[in-house]
Amino acid sequence: MSETVTYRVKHTSTVSYAAEIAQARFNLRLRPYRWPGQVILDDSLTVDPTPALMTEADGPYLVNTTRLQFTQPLHELTVTSRFHVAITQPPPPQSPLTISQLREQAVLSRDLTVRSPAPYLFASRIAQLDPDIADWAAPMLQPDCNILDAAYALNHAVHEKIKYVSGSSNSRTSPADAFRAGRGVCQDQSHVMIAALRSHAIPAAYVSGYLNTLPPPGEEKLVGADAMHAWVAVWCGEGTGWVAFDPTNDRLADTDHVTIGMGRDFADVSPIDGVFIGNTIQKLKYAVDVRRVDEDETEEAGAQAPAPS
Amino acid sequence: MNEAGSNLQGETLFGPDPGSDPLGWYRAPAGGDIFTAARPDMAAQWHAVASGLASAGQGNLSQVQSYLDRNVEDLGLAFRVTGDDRERPWPLAPMPILIGADEWQGIEAGLIQRAEIYESLLADIYGDQQTIANGHLPAALASGSVNFARRMVGLQPPGGYHLRVYAVDLVRDPAGDWRVLSDRARLPIGVGYALENRLALARSTGSLLASIGTRRLAEFFEALRFGIAADCTRSEPRIGLLTPGRFNQSYPEQAHLARHLGFSLVEGRDLTVRDGRLYVRTIAGLKRIDGLWRWINTADIDPLAFDQHSQIGVAGLIDACRHGDLSIANWPGAGVVESRAMAAFLPRLAQVLTGGPLILPNVATWWCGQQAEREHALANFDRLVFASSFRNDVAGLSGADNRLGSDLNPEERAALVEGMRRRPMDYVAQEMVETSTTPAVINGRFEPRPFVLRAFLARGPDGRWVAMPGGFGRVSSQPNLRSALMGAEDISADVCIVEGQDSARTVDPPALSAPVVRRAAGLLPSQAADNLFWLGRYGERAQQTARVVRTLLANADMPGDPASQSDAETTRRRLSQLLVNWGAAPAGKKQRSRQVAASALTAKDLNGSIPALIGRLQEIALLLRDRLTRDSWRAIHRLPPPIDVRDTESMSEACDMIVGVSAAMTHLLSDNLGRSAAWRFFDMGIALERGSLMLQSAQAIVPGSASAEDLSALLEMIDGTALYRSRYLTIPFIAPVLDMALLDPSEPRGLAYQVQRILNHLSQLPVLREDGMSEEPHRIARLLDARIAGLDADELDGPTISSLRDDLGALNAAIARRYFLQPDLPVTRDGSALLG
Repeated sequence: MSETVTYRVKHTSTVSYAAEIAQARFNLRLRPYRWPGQVILDDSLTVDPTPALMTEADGPYLVNTTRLQFTQPLHELTVTSRFHVAITQPPPPQSPLTISQLREQAVLSRDLTVRSPAPYLFASRIAQLDPDIADWAAPMLQPDCNILDAAYALNHAVHEKIKYVSGSSNSRTSPADAFRAGRGVCQDQSHVMIAALRSHAIPAAYVSGYLNTLPPPGEEKLVGADAMHAWVAVWCGEGTGWVAFDPTNDRLADTDHVTIGMGRDFADVSPIDGVFIGNTIQKLKYAVDVRRVDEDETEEAGAQAPAPS
Repeated sequence: MNEAGSNLQGETLFGPDPGSDPLGWYRAPAGGDIFTAARPDMAAQWHAVASGLASAGQGNLSQVQSYLDRNVEDLGLAFRVTGDDRERPWPLAPMPILIGADEWQGIEAGLIQRAEIYESLLADIYGDQQTIANGHLPAALASGSVNFARRMVGLQPPGGYHLRVYAVDLVRDPAGDWRVLSDRARLPIGVGYALENRLALARSTGSLLASIGTRRLAEFFEALRFGIAADCTRSEPRIGLLTPGRFNQSYPEQAHLARHLGFSLVEGRDLTVRDGRLYVRTIAGLKRIDGLWRWINTADIDPLAFDQHSQIGVAGLIDACRHGDLSIANWPGAGVVESRAMAAFLPRLAQVLTGGPLILPNVATWWCGQQAEREHALANFDRLVFASSFRNDVAGLSGADNRLGSDLNPEERAALVEGMRRRPMDYVAQEMVETSTTPAVINGRFEPRPFVLRAFLARGPDGRWVAMPGGFGRVSSQPNLRSALMGAEDISADVCIVEGQDSARTVDPPALSAPVVRRAAGLLPSQAADNLFWLGRYGERAQQTARVVRTLLANADMPGDPASQSDAETTRRRLSQLLVNWGAAPAGKKQRSRQVAASALTAKDLNGSIPALIGRLQEIALLLRDRLTRDSWRAIHRLPPPIDVRDTESMSEACDMIVGVSAAMTHLLSDNLGRSAAWRFFDMGIALERGSLMLQSAQAIVPGSASAEDLSALLEMIDGTALYRSRYLTIPFIAPVLDMALLDPSEPRGLAYQVQRILNHLSQLPVLREDGMSEEPHRIARLLDARIAGLDADELDGPTISSLRDDLGALNAAIARRYFLQPDLPVTRDGSALLG
């Protein structure tokens, strides 16, 4: 009997602009996507000020996109996402395949849909392949290695190689730069792991989501819990499918991980992007609160979001 | 007959006369030459063209080359290298490649079959993906291409066609069979050059091409134009050619095509999407766009749908596609079929999708993603060429497009094998293709050179494919090169499809209905209006600067008594200061008049100098390529004369020439542009600049007191000396001179005249307000006009002139606000890191 955990998630972001911006259009990717072992009980997205147009779209990767369009000039935008989600502990992954067998399956796959391996075999906009990362990972990804053993080893190696340093990179940092610097945030650790796997023709995807904010008593808080988090899904063969690894915390993703979406890299699931007219500096404030419902029945009373890190 | 000609004639003693039959001496490698392999009737055509060229050059083939170069240059279609200031003429070989109509019929059928296979394949990849599910094409062949756009899955093009324009690179192998090197479904680069090459060759050779029965290209371009229009929902659609902008390598080609086809040349920032429809920003507000011929990659086309950092796309364009009212050629995502690896699957896809074998075979290709193919490639390593499946940079090819196995040293070989072991799907192996040669003129005689033919297809309005009868020939500058390695030094050649004696037409001309007669082009994008306005301003400023320099030089050598000498000195100082104010001469140092003049005429680094102004003028002209006629284009590029700065006479002559040429340019442009809105913006630019410079001159020359010399100089600048004398019969006095320069509305170089000229244009331009109230530029212009009419020459002191300048500045700003794209338009993207 596997464990199921229910979370209440609240994520508020406020973007403010030094000068007014006009004709703003944004893509928000904040509503959780259907995911094996993850049931969304309810979700809502509120935007202040109210946009002229707000439309929902599915995709093009495993992500819900909310398009906002403003006709009035804008000084500040506040987006609040609230949802309840029930997560079931996945069974321990098993795959008999060697890397060369897996590669053959992925390369010759007859499926182009968004959950299939082929879309995640190639370099993408941010997750560009890099010869140094490829060579570094090569000893761990030998053709006769079991795919799961190799993925565990690589997950650990990335955790060791790329030190988690908050604020040490930005949304456009390439895996090659993070690898050379030897530090980064969850996004960089994920991109490096993705680049390493794809360099050896192993399908790898970028997952964005949240971590349980409050650890069980006596345990340390997970790294990356104060903001959105990112980890890596590795395709482990037709029988096994996608297995999610969290290189930041050197473990498999489990009931502590709430999934928002999956794409080829950060660009496919970026929480907010868009275009507007205006040349201005922006400031971003955010608060993420992910807590187990069973532990916190009096939710509204004491709910205090952690300060942005 | 020149000397070279008589020498050549001397050789008739030893063989055919190269003056009348230059191909008589041609020796090609055994087999594998398109001319030597031609049947007798076609060979006769080759001889006819060669002798025609020889006689056009009076027996000298090099002479034909120079005619041709001049025609290419005249046509203004030059190959621009990204980031280069100067454009490099695209070298065009005089000798076309001739293909008989019956041979072409086979090629054409093969080309059309490929286009149809790709259309079906695209419909499937972006539809229910059955070819993939059934194993005819691995999914990785689609997802591996950077041109695969997942977002387009399920989004049907309005007319049902993903492909409207398509290009294929072909080689002729030594056995005479044509084989496909590559496909181009994104950008048919070269289609404009093919047209241009034909025009240049036809101009240089008179009736030669017609005399051998060369098929015309016109029909193809008609099919292209009406084909794109056919998918639009409105009956008289407005179609734009979407260009990445002037820094793109093929920008001149795009501008030329837009002009030839009657499409508007638009950049992403000219366009906007509102409520699911696409609009172009024009001086008359937003106007619907019904169709786009895009020359930018899908990934850059819409920052909201694809790469949010794209600066050249249109935010929301894909929403407009979804709305169903916008036709785009080719439909976004069409480029996915271009991958090199596709060739390995095409024979099977031909069977599956068209039920027949592939008519035009590809160069044999093995996709290394499959085990058996990979093993074949490794077993035959030395005989095969290795390349990237998806045309991106892959490990082991050292950045090259492709490498021949046998050319690799042991280290490179190991790197390639390791790369293929890690990511086998990134590699293809291809057979080496020997290519046929064609006669090319090298150093005045015919030599065999390998060639590649790029063929073009367009869908007509009825949906049927029309192949351009001809194409863009690329002839290698080196003999005996392998096709795969043809490179950047190549020259281009026209390709002529020649009717044989008994060949019938293979394709019926598409049925075209005559367009509804219309007057006035109607649509002037805001950006084009902006550029025209600045073209006028820079042209005028160059001319006025030359006038001031000329006056300064005239004053520099003036003899006279000491009193008038010191007055002349003051005048020189004031004129020099004016040039410094305009940024034509360096500020600060005390300089002799001649040095100031020399700076204004030659100092490229000063942004107000004449060479700098001309440079800006040429840059702007580049942005207006689709609107300028050949003559205007030439006038703009003829401007800079050689100047000897030690010689006053030479400098004065240069000024005269600049004044003359720039006046001629203005005149030509005004003529070309008719009485259109385009002309109004150009002319307003001139008027505004002239008015502003006149005020600045008056301010610099008449601060408080002015000598007769000062005033004469001012009169000189407005060409008013003769008129003043006839009117006043005395030496210049302040009030009458200022009256002429600023207040007299009948003085065509004066300020009052310029303001009325602007007012007149403004009243003819489209109005946005529907409440009958005047727009801001009109209001300001009317006020300024009334103010000038109410002024008396005696009141024209420094502060008054200065406030007139402010008013004119406000008018300029109001025109820019109302008609041009807003200066802050460059869109700032917002990508934020919310991540831990």
